[in-house]
Amino acid sequence: MKRFIFAILVLSMLLVGCGQTNESAAEFDIADWDSVLVAANGQTVNWYMWGGSDSINAYVDNFYGVALKERYNITLNRVPVADAADYINQVLSEKEAGVKNGAVDLMWINGENFFTLKQAEMLYPDWAQAIPNSVLVDWDNPAINRDFGEPVDNLESPWSSAQFQFIYDSARMDADSLPRSYADLAVWACGHPGRFTYIASGPGAFQGTRFVKGALFEISGDAAQWGTIDEALWDEWSPKVWDYFNEFKSCLWREGETYPKDEYELHSLFANNEVDFSITQAIVGAGALIDEGLVPETSRAFVFDNYMIGDFNYVAIPSNASNKAAALVLANLILEPEFQAAQVLPENGFGLGFGIDVTRVSDPAQVAVLEEALQNLGEAATPAEDMAKSLVGDAASPYQAMVEEGWRENVLIGQ
Amino acid sequence: MKPSNLKLALHLAPTLGILLILLGASLAYGLAQSLGYLTIIGEKELSLSAYQNLISGQGTAGREFWVSLGFSLWISLASTILSTIGALFLATLLNRRPSRIDTFALNWNLAFPHLVWGVLMLLLLSQSGLLARWAGAFGIINTPADFPVLVRDRFGFGIILTYIGKEVPFLTLVTLALLRTQSEGYLLVAENLGANAWQRFRLVTLPLVRPALLSGALLVFAYIFGAYEVPALLGVRYPRTLPVLALEAFTNPDLHARAEGMAISLIIALIVLVIAGLARAKEGIQE
Repeated sequence: MKRFIFAILVLSMLLVGCGQTNESAAEFDIADWDSVLVAANGQTVNWYMWGGSDSINAYVDNFYGVALKERYNITLNRVPVADAADYINQVLSEKEAGVKNGAVDLMWINGENFFTLKQAEMLYPDWAQAIPNSVLVDWDNPAINRDFGEPVDNLESPWSSAQFQFIYDSARMDADSLPRSYADLAVWACGHPGRFTYIASGPGAFQGTRFVKGALFEISGDAAQWGTIDEALWDEWSPKVWDYFNEFKSCLWREGETYPKDEYELHSLFANNEVDFSITQAIVGAGALIDEGLVPETSRAFVFDNYMIGDFNYVAIPSNASNKAAALVLANLILEPEFQAAQVLPENGFGLGFGIDVTRVSDPAQVAVLEEALQNLGEAATPAEDMAKSLVGDAASPYQAMVEEGWRENVLIGQ
Repeated sequence: MKPSNLKLALHLAPTLGILLILLGASLAYGLAQSLGYLTIIGEKELSLSAYQNLISGQGTAGREFWVSLGFSLWISLASTILSTIGALFLATLLNRRPSRIDTFALNWNLAFPHLVWGVLMLLLLSQSGLLARWAGAFGIINTPADFPVLVRDRFGFGIILTYIGKEVPFLTLVTLALLRTQSEGYLLVAENLGANAWQRFRLVTLPLVRPALLSGALLVFAYIFGAYEVPALLGVRYPRTLPVLALEAFTNPDLHARAEGMAISLIIALIVLVIAGLARAKEGIQE
């Protein structure tokens, strides 16, 4: 009988737990920023982000965490998660369960997750261009107002920028012998059988997809034409891209039988001297990875002469977030020029580029800080002029799935 | 119902109730999603298109369904058969010299999760793993690529090896438990009647342990068929096992792919249930 009562107790606790709701958040009007600050005062902001890098975690806590507390009396609760898909699922499950006061206040997301949440209509709308520091963001830039080609629609605000780059080990190779185009790369790979591989293109592995897109750009000779969806253009060029990849498949690591599934698997192959190149998106190149001990200290970043896709990454607020005001304050804080300057410096551990447009910053002192940061990206970074010369925007969003499907069908599985 | 049965049922009711609610709700929810009932994107119309995609080999996950099914069956069958044979011989061997050390060693292995065992295999056997480094240090190989591909290989050898390492001790314990409760008499009588070692094994030991070993093997098969972590860790990008394929479809950025992921999960569940039912029936016969 005791056990029966116990079971009833457990069950009722479960039910109570499900039905529990938090106090409703204080009212605010986003047009009146002071009202946001008042509402955010004393709140805890639950920031869900990928937590796989100790140096990024420390950067977030030491810079944003401290500033939020001191300036706005907001407590930062950084929730480290293994994979962005996990908190996307948390938000989606909350929607299905009808939870009004969600656990997630702010999320660090990329274009794939953004697409998912936009599709599920779970993003808090009409705020990204309303926060004070959004004047520093170049919203006319297609690389900013589209995320993986998908219109941002005022649903997310940029944090930082990134660009596709390769990593090599300067102790193993001369900078002069590096391939500088996809055509070069195929020649290099077959001259060094088994020493090159790339991340498998597919959902959750955007770096691999981006690598394939770069080949599409180079082979078709133009990146800009892929900014809008065009089936005929795709049918014309995609078979040539699959031919390109299939032609040097047998020269790859494990003869293209399998591919690393994410950048960490590739970093480890590179560090273990199984392959000679890795891939990164960081503005500091290999710098942050060297500090984490993931790649050799002599690692350096480089780019091809053209078609290196660059883009921005963003923060978004779920529509059922419990502490929206605090989330807005945090999203605004990360755009402050002082933190934008801090995030690019390799010693601070974040290592991604500016989310803001430096030319929109009016205070000369702040401009100086930003420009000085750019001068101090470290020797493991790709030279700035190389980056700028090779930078192209992403293709329109439907190409993401088309590239992934096509690569799987024609290259991974093959005929 | 006898009073003792009624009491038993009452005692079990809370646990069973919670289990049935949780499991039943998940199954119903999974079934609904597999039929395209995806409220998160406002899809409420039921259809069998996810299942059609799988059977016709089309769609996000469906494209790989048949290959994955074959791969899953290969991994599960090979691991189960090899583990069973290994366990049979190990148990026969250990039964002749009873000691506490062997059962301790076997139990010790059970304490490790499959995932830990998988990571161990990866660190040991990959082309830049510990063994490859030793081989390199002794000059047997020159580059990591010279080391044979034992994990993350197209045929799933690394996965099968991991499962054998985990399931042989498990099945050995099951078999030993049975053997050690039998009297030594059968074997002694057979030996006195002039049976050699092979005859004693075939005519005495094997019939004794077969029912338990068989139902144990079916459980192992069902477990491996539905397991995610080892094939995710030690598998290649293609072909993939069904659980790996199902989770990828479930976490696909396009929420429409969830229906196929759920359909695969339900097919896995169905196959596992059939196998578990077989194991149960075997145990029934044994009793």
